[in-house]
Amino acid sequence: MAKSTKNFKSFIHLLSTMRFAITMFSFVAIASIIGTVLKQNEPYESYLIKLGQFWFEIFEILGLYNVYQAFWFLLILIFLIISTSLCVYRNTPKIISDYRKFQDKVQEKSLLSFKHSYKLTYKNFDNSRLEEILLKNKFRFKKKILRNGDELYSAKRGEFQKLGYIFTHLAIIVISIGGLFDGNLVFKVQESLGLKNIIIDDIPLKEIDSSSRLSESNFSYRAQMLLAEGEKQEVAVLRAKEGYLIQELPFSIALKDFRIKHYSTGQPKSFESDLLVEDKKTGKVIAETISVNKPLTVNGITIYQSDFQDGGSKLGLRVWDLHSNQSFVPMASEIFKTNKLVYDDQNFNVEFNDFRKFNILEIEDGKKKKLKNVGPNFIYKIRNESGQAVEYQTYQFPMIVGGTSFFMSGMRSTPQDEFRYIKIPADANRELTGFLKFRSLITSPKQVSESIDKVIKETSSNKAIDINLFKTSISKVINSFLEGGYSQIANLIDQDITVSKQEEIANSYIKIIFLVSKEIIKNYKVENKDDDSFILDDSSSFIQDSLNAYSDSFFYGIPMFFELKDYQHIQASGLQLTKSPGQVWVYIGSIMLVLGIFCMIYIQDVRLWIIKYKKTKKIVFAMTTNRQHYDFDKFALETRDKIKSIIN
Amino acid sequence: MNKYIDKFLLHGLALTLSLLSVFAIFKFHDYMDNYEIGILVGATILFSWLGKTWLNFGRFFIASLILSFISIYIYQGNLMQAENNFFLKYFLSSQSAIMWMSALFPLSLIIYWISLFSKQTFYENLASALVWIAALMGLLGLLVRWFESYLISIDIGHIPISNLYEVFVLFCLITSLMYLYYEQKMNTKKMGPFVLIIISAAVAFLLWYTFNKGADEIQPLVPALQSYWMKIHVPANFIGYGAFAIAAMISVAYLLVDNGILKKQLPNLTVLDDMTYKVVSIGFIFFTIATILGAVWAAEAWGGYWSWDPKETWALIVWLNYAAWLHLRLIKGLRGTMLAWWAIIGLVITTFAFLGVNLFLSGLHSYGEL
Repeated sequence: MAKSTKNFKSFIHLLSTMRFAITMFSFVAIASIIGTVLKQNEPYESYLIKLGQFWFEIFEILGLYNVYQAFWFLLILIFLIISTSLCVYRNTPKIISDYRKFQDKVQEKSLLSFKHSYKLTYKNFDNSRLEEILLKNKFRFKKKILRNGDELYSAKRGEFQKLGYIFTHLAIIVISIGGLFDGNLVFKVQESLGLKNIIIDDIPLKEIDSSSRLSESNFSYRAQMLLAEGEKQEVAVLRAKEGYLIQELPFSIALKDFRIKHYSTGQPKSFESDLLVEDKKTGKVIAETISVNKPLTVNGITIYQSDFQDGGSKLGLRVWDLHSNQSFVPMASEIFKTNKLVYDDQNFNVEFNDFRKFNILEIEDGKKKKLKNVGPNFIYKIRNESGQAVEYQTYQFPMIVGGTSFFMSGMRSTPQDEFRYIKIPADANRELTGFLKFRSLITSPKQVSESIDKVIKETSSNKAIDINLFKTSISKVINSFLEGGYSQIANLIDQDITVSKQEEIANSYIKIIFLVSKEIIKNYKVENKDDDSFILDDSSSFIQDSLNAYSDSFFYGIPMFFELKDYQHIQASGLQLTKSPGQVWVYIGSIMLVLGIFCMIYIQDVRLWIIKYKKTKKIVFAMTTNRQHYDFDKFALETRDKIKSIIN
Repeated sequence: MNKYIDKFLLHGLALTLSLLSVFAIFKFHDYMDNYEIGILVGATILFSWLGKTWLNFGRFFIASLILSFISIYIYQGNLMQAENNFFLKYFLSSQSAIMWMSALFPLSLIIYWISLFSKQTFYENLASALVWIAALMGLLGLLVRWFESYLISIDIGHIPISNLYEVFVLFCLITSLMYLYYEQKMNTKKMGPFVLIIISAAVAFLLWYTFNKGADEIQPLVPALQSYWMKIHVPANFIGYGAFAIAAMISVAYLLVDNGILKKQLPNLTVLDDMTYKVVSIGFIFFTIATILGAVWAAEAWGGYWSWDPKETWALIVWLNYAAWLHLRLIKGLRGTMLAWWAIIGLVITTFAFLGVNLFLSGLHSYGEL
């Protein structure tokens, strides 16, 4: 029994030592560093990919994916609070009694051991003048008559320095407790007792039972809510570990409108949500606009604008087969919806994932690059029957690349890859029509055949060659191109031509394809004089760009191009709802902390003693401080000289 | 003559600043909220007081005001003047002022080192004067940049402390002014050769950043930064950073003297030790205030006073580091070599919090990214 109390006492003593506190603080610092190096609160799969199974599990046990909410981290904080509290408890009584008391039981001997102690002799000693000096220098003092009528003045100033100690340490306790209030300690206990379950899969709200719901009375949380325009919600979502929980609210929130305002340069200037907050009990409705840096507080819950995303925009699309001369298939869809698509007798699902009305990209502007809004784009995935998907990102309007306007559509097979873009040249009217006409013409056998004839006529007018053989070989080249683009031509050359001549032949094939294409357009222009899609002057690279685009389309997954004709933009606003009862304590603690540091650093605790010996007409003067600063020496000498000046 | 100038400084600066503030409040109150008016009044009091208690600062501040008003006058509300007008192009546009600053700091570093080995006081006086002029050009650059941002567009206009380029200028400015204060207070110019190293390093980074990344272009504020808090939080933080930088450089000098190097040229150990302590103290107070204000701002912008964002977390680590430093010195009475080393390591930690977090870690503070 006695032994255990002794152990307990020494344990308490250990807790209250500064060494222990500093060790704890070092742990906090190291844990914090880990938390900044390892990205926190990522989806668990991404950790698994990064770390591998073995380390993933070890890191999970250590709680490193959410260090600052980990059990051991909170434990360290609690130990810190206890340690600091004990430290304050131990030292406060001494500091307070020091503050009150004057040290008037000093001996001459002990005074003389101070660095600033001087023996002086006096002729006239006027007590009132000495006291005047002391008061002027902000000393408080006590006079004591010693035996033989000798006098002792014990004086001091700057006792607030030591109160600074109490302030700063109390501040740390108050801030930590405030912080713990706002941690999720209550939930952690509930979870470890099995009272609350984290939901990992997406399940409908109605099916979520009370074990995964936190009631309105939960006194501290930071929850999220995603609201589409026109939508109303009654609960918020609380992210926890690899899943989430439902947080009940005392009110419902409806989003009337979400706005992004832009600067003239195109960058976002503000995100604003028009909210209707309706109290569930009273039915009272508050209409308020919130924006970043301007939150709204209702019933002690603060509602913040935190992010935004698409809320299910409606898209009107035209789907073009790039390899045929057929017209488009219309398609109407919404973001977060899936449409069916048939290509080459196979079924595909088209999943629409995102729509962005504004895209600020670095675009060439003369020689310089400039940030510019290039207009809407949308992101979708085309998934085949076996579940493999290719992701696309397609822009509605053409953008300028290397001086020419292109419609850009990127594709990638895995999310780790960058998008690879197909560049479809815009026609003279900056529209897609020109290219689509071109691909109809080039894929029509009749047009191709007629144009080949014309090309042969022009290039071989005075040469005696077998025209039929020439036509067959040109047709073979064109057909290879139509079947597989330039890479098909390369295959053709690899098969038939000796290595030394390959480059030369390749160039002539490319030239032939170009000439035939040009002839096709020429014919078209003769027959359709009103159509101004094509300009065929020397500077136009439209035909070459179109051929490139056609060739690239063989690497575009299925060659179906989604043209965005119109859209109805529906946005969703991401709100954060914070209940933070600890905040006020953290602020109070912070004020104490600043005051405390000021006291500790800028107030100098100085003690001064003067013993006046009546008989010998001698004075012993001593001055000391608990912290030897450079300035103190100066102050001590000045004070001594002042006293000297009144006793001579 | 000087007497009259000083007399003017004692009362004239406060009067001038007050009149300017009153004018600004009447003319531009539609563009300011109450907090910003409060900050303006606070700044007026602060700079009047500083100018009165530290006369050199008063002179410096008046000079920067006069030069920036000349610059604004020449601009005539047209940003193109920066290219066309001789004075703007070579002296008074923000970009050229900052370039002058960038040239003068390294120059003063060289002269400080010459002065260390020279018996004449001419060199150290010259170096000191150059630091004043460099700081003047830095402040001028920032003030004019502030004005230029409004010339681009009224809604783009904002105080130029919002990205890495601008805060580097602020760092050079604040660090040099703090140094100049201690130079005068401690009555020694022997610290200059060391403090100017860190300022010149910052200038080198600034130049690299300007020429390689075109960072000097004025960008509009992202929504998260549109708050009056920026005007208090950022400068307070940089007083902290600047002070910690000075402390580390003085500690370098301390260690040199401690090992018998440059012993004759540099002040004695007591002075160096005491100065380190003073600078760390002032830095610690401002860093504490800045971190607290940052938390208050975060509560308003991000929905929580503490989110364990990498920048916040590293601010905490820096704070803990210097808290421990002060503890050991004040409570345990430790001083000398160990604390000098510690102050140098402290600067490494501080630099990581200031730059490294932006370079290597992503988070909510991402507007400072390279």
